[in-house]
Amino acid sequence: MSNNYGSKFLSWIKSAAGLSIVVTIVVAVVASIASGPYLLVNTVVTGGMLALVATGLTLMLGVLNIPMFAHGEFFMIGSLAAFYVFTPISNYTNENPDSIIVVFGPLIAMAASTIIGAISGIIAEKLVFGPLRRRSTDDWVMNSFLLTVGLSVLLINLHQLVFGADFKGIVGYWSGMPISIYDVFISRDRVMAFMIAAVIVVLFWFFMTYTRTGMAIRAVSQDITGAQIVGIDIEKIVLLTISLACALSAVAGGSLLFMYPSYPTVGLEPLYMAWFVVILSGLGNVLGAVAGAFIVALLKVITVEYIGAGWDFVIPSALIMFILIFKPSGIFGSDVRGALDK
Amino acid sequence: MSSTITSRQMNPFDKILDKLCLTPAGFCGLALLFVLPFIPPFNQEYMLRWLIYCGLIAAMSVGFDLTAGYISIVNFGYAAVSGFGGYSSALLVINMGLSPWIAMIAGGMTAGFIGLIIGMISLRLRGIFAACLSWFFGLAIMGLTIKLVWLTRGQLGLRTPRLFETDSNVPFYFLIITLLFFIYLACKWIVRSKMGLAFQAIGQNMDAARTSGINPVYYRVMNFTISCAIAGVLGGFYAHFYGILTPDMMHTSKTVEILAVAYIGGRGSLWGGAVIAFPFIFLMEIVRSTLSNLPGLNLVIYALVLILVMIYYPGGFSYFYDTNIRKPKNKALRYFFNGRA
Repeated sequence: MSNNYGSKFLSWIKSAAGLSIVVTIVVAVVASIASGPYLLVNTVVTGGMLALVATGLTLMLGVLNIPMFAHGEFFMIGSLAAFYVFTPISNYTNENPDSIIVVFGPLIAMAASTIIGAISGIIAEKLVFGPLRRRSTDDWVMNSFLLTVGLSVLLINLHQLVFGADFKGIVGYWSGMPISIYDVFISRDRVMAFMIAAVIVVLFWFFMTYTRTGMAIRAVSQDITGAQIVGIDIEKIVLLTISLACALSAVAGGSLLFMYPSYPTVGLEPLYMAWFVVILSGLGNVLGAVAGAFIVALLKVITVEYIGAGWDFVIPSALIMFILIFKPSGIFGSDVRGALDK
Repeated sequence: MSSTITSRQMNPFDKILDKLCLTPAGFCGLALLFVLPFIPPFNQEYMLRWLIYCGLIAAMSVGFDLTAGYISIVNFGYAAVSGFGGYSSALLVINMGLSPWIAMIAGGMTAGFIGLIIGMISLRLRGIFAACLSWFFGLAIMGLTIKLVWLTRGQLGLRTPRLFETDSNVPFYFLIITLLFFIYLACKWIVRSKMGLAFQAIGQNMDAARTSGINPVYYRVMNFTISCAIAGVLGGFYAHFYGILTPDMMHTSKTVEILAVAYIGGRGSLWGGAVIAFPFIFLMEIVRSTLSNLPGLNLVIYALVLILVMIYYPGGFSYFYDTNIRKPKNKALRYFFNGRA
């Protein structure tokens, strides 16, 4: 029995997925021994955020076949909402430092950003994607892609027009001493951001795997006609998927407000990174996206550490292009070609 | 365009127009562009600068449409490739003392080389994957330009000599219009030839094209090379017109600008983007300069137009023109809009 598992494990290691995960872990361990554990902490925090954005992107791709270019703008919406909710809360807590809001205030802000993200996703579906879906005849993927390009430009400039181009940031969510683990000091915000990301990703995975609605979403992503035949309400699933995807992106923006202050183009960096993840890990694969998020985060952190800030677009994108040449469907992707290849 | 009348019956004027790939309406439009800098509201220098920018975007959208409209791959790193051409041209002038004119062509060649590479590495990818790959390529080029400060001066911007030693914008305007026309002509000739047929076949159904004996490797790489070479020459024009190059010209938002114009103009038509760029970009510039207390409003309008066109009229202006304007009852008008061909 154990021999069987052993050979299975060996063959997994030899596959592209296993190989890349093992290499990632080894590189992460070696780098953090060489330069200090803060590398690992940065990777984990960035990876957690990226996992949220990338799973949303993957969901949109897998279920709706929309290559979302405006996903970073929902990140921006989330951070904006969190800023405007958290500012009055922090004013209140400055006057009453003993109230219970000090602990729960940030969570309220993040919840607000999630809800607003979901609502804006629904609005986008009702105003933009729905009409296109009803009118689209062919070439849906490319048309919807260009549509999201337009949406992205629109949202960025609406932000600039309405709220101004200045940085809307906060000092931090949870004040207090940083937590120290083995001589590494990590600010509480970072710890909480990672915890929130982890909880949400696990919940989301649970939702997709075990609930009826999650199964319906997966069914739609595999075969729309088949899903319709077994009685799944496509419209409802589509609406749910878009709001979920946008909420995931928005909560990432909300929970990282202390790192990324809200300004019009704040979403571009997470967007680029999320696209790296999605292309690297193969389209429509949620678990793969989570693993890919940590790989890309590690790449970014290592690049910044050893080569210098600013190179973090050059090296990862070069590496991803290199991988794509040899494995066009991504590391965790299957070789089945779908609607997205057209 | 299938010609119903054989070339024997055509008079010389029509024959020339046909060789130039223009309808009488197009000819009039071109003539209008050439006299535009002498017509009163447009003869001011700042208006001419806008018009030059319109011409640049128009020419870019023609080159972009050769890839997007014919082999159905959106080259999302188009602005970056163009910037690469511009930078290599500028660096050749600065470091090797080449004349800007030769350097512009050299810039086009280097950009064509980049196109060759993009075409090669994206061969196994289709649709959105290929678009993403060219996008990542563009991001990588832009990142390199920002970081290679010893060569490109990074964000500080690279000062470049201009093509003409005058303060007037008029020669630049004529140059860009000529460039626009020749780029259009080159693309149209390519599209009319056997190669163009192969492009369309690959764009519509790659497997069917391969079955009927078209080598997709050759044609796809060729298409990328040509389209990127055009971008490179235009990048060289940009460099030697504005006199300063910053990595911002490689940004994805520039590609989006070109893409929006090309798609609003109508994909697969080549002329649609060129026609729509002039009124559209010009209006945007007016909005931007008159309502400068509302920054970003022009881009909001921009995006709204793109969204509305994508939803309600995905064929763009050229489709509207073909279905509504092109077939009037009046015979003279019909000749005016269609030519003899």
